[in-house]
Amino acid sequence: MMTSTSLARRLSLWLLIPLALCGAVLLVTAWNSARHTADRSYDRLLDAASRAMAEQVRWQHGHLWFDLPASALDILAPSGQERVFYTLVDRTGTALSGNAHLPTMAGHDHPSADFSTATLPWHGMMIRLGVRQVTPSGWGEPSPFEIRVAHTLEARDHLARELFMASAWRLLAMLILAALVVVWLIRRSLSPLRVIRRELRRRSANDLSPLALPTPRELKELVNALNDLLARQRGAHAEQQRFIGDASHQLRTPLAGLSARAELALRQEDPAQWHAALKVLHVTSTDAARLASQLLSWTRLHHPESGLENEALTLSTIARHGVVRAMEQTGFRHIDVGLDTEQGDATITGAGWQLEEALANLLDNARRYGASCITVGTRADPPSLWVEDDGPGIEAHERAELMKPFRRGGQNGPTGSGLGLAIVDGIARAHGADLTLTTPSRGGLRVTLTFRTPS
Amino acid sequence: MSFHLKHRLTHRGLQTVALIILLVGSTAHASAARPQTTLTLEAQTPQHAQLRIDGAVDEHIIAPVLTAFQAANPHVRVVYRNFSTEALYHHYDHLPDQDSADLVISSAMSRQYALVNEGHAQPLGASISDHWPRDALWRNELVGLSFEPIVMVFRQDLLKDALPRSHEALLEYLTTHREALQDKVVTYNPAKSDTGFTFTAQDAQQSPGYWSLINALGGVHAVQLDSTRPMLEGLAAGRYVIGYNLIGSYAFQAARDNPALTVVVPEDYALVLQRLAFIPRSARHPNAARHFLAFYTSEAGQQVVATQAMLGALHPATRGPGSASALKMGFGGSLRPIHLSPGLMALVDPLKRQSVLSRWQREFTRNTPPPDDSIR
Repeated sequence: MMTSTSLARRLSLWLLIPLALCGAVLLVTAWNSARHTADRSYDRLLDAASRAMAEQVRWQHGHLWFDLPASALDILAPSGQERVFYTLVDRTGTALSGNAHLPTMAGHDHPSADFSTATLPWHGMMIRLGVRQVTPSGWGEPSPFEIRVAHTLEARDHLARELFMASAWRLLAMLILAALVVVWLIRRSLSPLRVIRRELRRRSANDLSPLALPTPRELKELVNALNDLLARQRGAHAEQQRFIGDASHQLRTPLAGLSARAELALRQEDPAQWHAALKVLHVTSTDAARLASQLLSWTRLHHPESGLENEALTLSTIARHGVVRAMEQTGFRHIDVGLDTEQGDATITGAGWQLEEALANLLDNARRYGASCITVGTRADPPSLWVEDDGPGIEAHERAELMKPFRRGGQNGPTGSGLGLAIVDGIARAHGADLTLTTPSRGGLRVTLTFRTPS
Repeated sequence: MSFHLKHRLTHRGLQTVALIILLVGSTAHASAARPQTTLTLEAQTPQHAQLRIDGAVDEHIIAPVLTAFQAANPHVRVVYRNFSTEALYHHYDHLPDQDSADLVISSAMSRQYALVNEGHAQPLGASISDHWPRDALWRNELVGLSFEPIVMVFRQDLLKDALPRSHEALLEYLTTHREALQDKVVTYNPAKSDTGFTFTAQDAQQSPGYWSLINALGGVHAVQLDSTRPMLEGLAAGRYVIGYNLIGSYAFQAARDNPALTVVVPEDYALVLQRLAFIPRSARHPNAARHFLAFYTSEAGQQVVATQAMLGALHPATRGPGSASALKMGFGGSLRPIHLSPGLMALVDPLKRQSVLSRWQREFTRNTPPPDDSIR
């Protein structure tokens, strides 16, 4: 379907084509009926003329007498301009009298009827032929005879044309009127669409308020869907605004801390104090940098145009890389990080950097919340990746709340961006994986990403 | 025993127009394609066109029209051949390819109609004047050219009592003067003449009293001839004193030349004959024929028709003696024009002919034992 197809044009086409076809059929019918009417009325004349002739045929002394009435011939020419023919034929088919030798009725429709008519070509012209079979009664032994009468078709054609033209004009006027009404109705019915279009086009980029337009029932659905979309857009927009606010707030706190610490250190004269201050500045700026990078990955994750570049991945490889990378960091120096992978690789499709990011975030979260022993594991069936720690865990009622950005577990917990679990949740959604938080039997927290097997 | 006669006539307005009348035999039963007389008007220019007309109109009636036509069109060589109506019909019924005229004019209306009905004619085109009466035109193939009442002619000088002026009065007159009128009455022989048969059939339709009239005609041993001219000659010579059913145009012209002849247009009804013309499909010069018809139906042509040919000018603009409008004015109520309609063809039907003729014969001989037998 071409995108440029006009709904109005399609509707018009599909309504007007049947209308035109209907009109054509009606015109043909009108022509046939006009012909039929003309034939019927003028066949009566043939009938009357042949009857008048038959009445003038007499058998006398075994001899046929025929006093052809002139009026019968006059009747045969309704408009006076037709050529007129008649033949009197005896039982054996011999012409007894007449001004032409008319043919007999070919393919007699009703052999029992005493009068029948047909239109046929004869001597280079079209004639209407009427044949009357007569079985006379009278003295002696009268033998049956046949009277054939015919005339050319001028009067019939004229009458048929007149009748047809009369109905054709009416029909055409009706069709044109109907076509105009159809076109007008289509334009009128589609006008709410135009109103909606104008309304949407008129809006500024920030105007996401619901459409309040009087619309017919059929378009209510569309307007409702549009309003739903607008509502979601509004929600997303608010979310973004809040996120930016939160992010700015999060970044401002460490930066303000850095600034205050640096100012304090500058008042000191002691290099040892400076050294201590620089150490604090280093830790804080590292956190801020990490926060910034987390914000960046969150943004990348939520960018509407960042498609998921899919590649085949093995979960155990991702787990091993994550563990190795964690071990290289100073924060993990006193933590026991273990790997628990199964024989037989679990393979999924997804974006490697995202899953690595998710794993890094989970490990970082576990470390920050005071775990001393962390295990990263994978399972093949169903493909899953999990991180288990022996930290304080998360209360079941807090878990859903923690999926949102800038929500930190615990009231007075350690410093953290509050983005970690939200990022993991986003990545899980992007991969169509389920994110579950459970409490293992020996306490702590187990976060599991369960992927759906491609079926 | 045919003889040739060649003589020159000079037209009043045209000294140079040569009229060559060739009388080629005058026997009534010449062979089908043999004309009774031929009239040739040579063209006045070296390069000439040709117009051939075959007709059943006496050449002295139609000559003024032909002459006037040639005066207007000196480049046309006009050949007119006069036939009997029967000869003309049989000639054109067989669609002659060789010997075909460009225009056929005849007073046998039924025969002409039958020929054109069968498709022997070609369209007249736009030749006929727009003012020509519509009832004198059929399918634009057949045109009525004249308006000629059927009349009675009397030798008033040789008759007693007041002249009968209607059919009924004639019947009474014939009955009253039966003895005196023996062999002195002349009329058409319907068996031999199509024109006469047409009158008979039309008369019979007008009134059942017609058969009494035939009865009375039989009573006076009316002489039966097959054309108007010999009847007028007999009347002029005094052989006959009453002529019944004569063609008006001939009678009026004869009465103009011979005051002894009295022409009576019957007051109860008078049939009106039309000479019908068509252009045969086999015509060699159909456009010349159209040209002639255009002239004939024009006002100029009609003036000649009214004043010289006495054929009855049909053009509504033509007034005065010899025009249809003058005749209608004079005898309005009693004129019964024979209509140009398919009913005419009933007169050609062989069985109908047979039945009418046998009735005619029966009525004619009813009260009259064959005179020959009674003498011998």
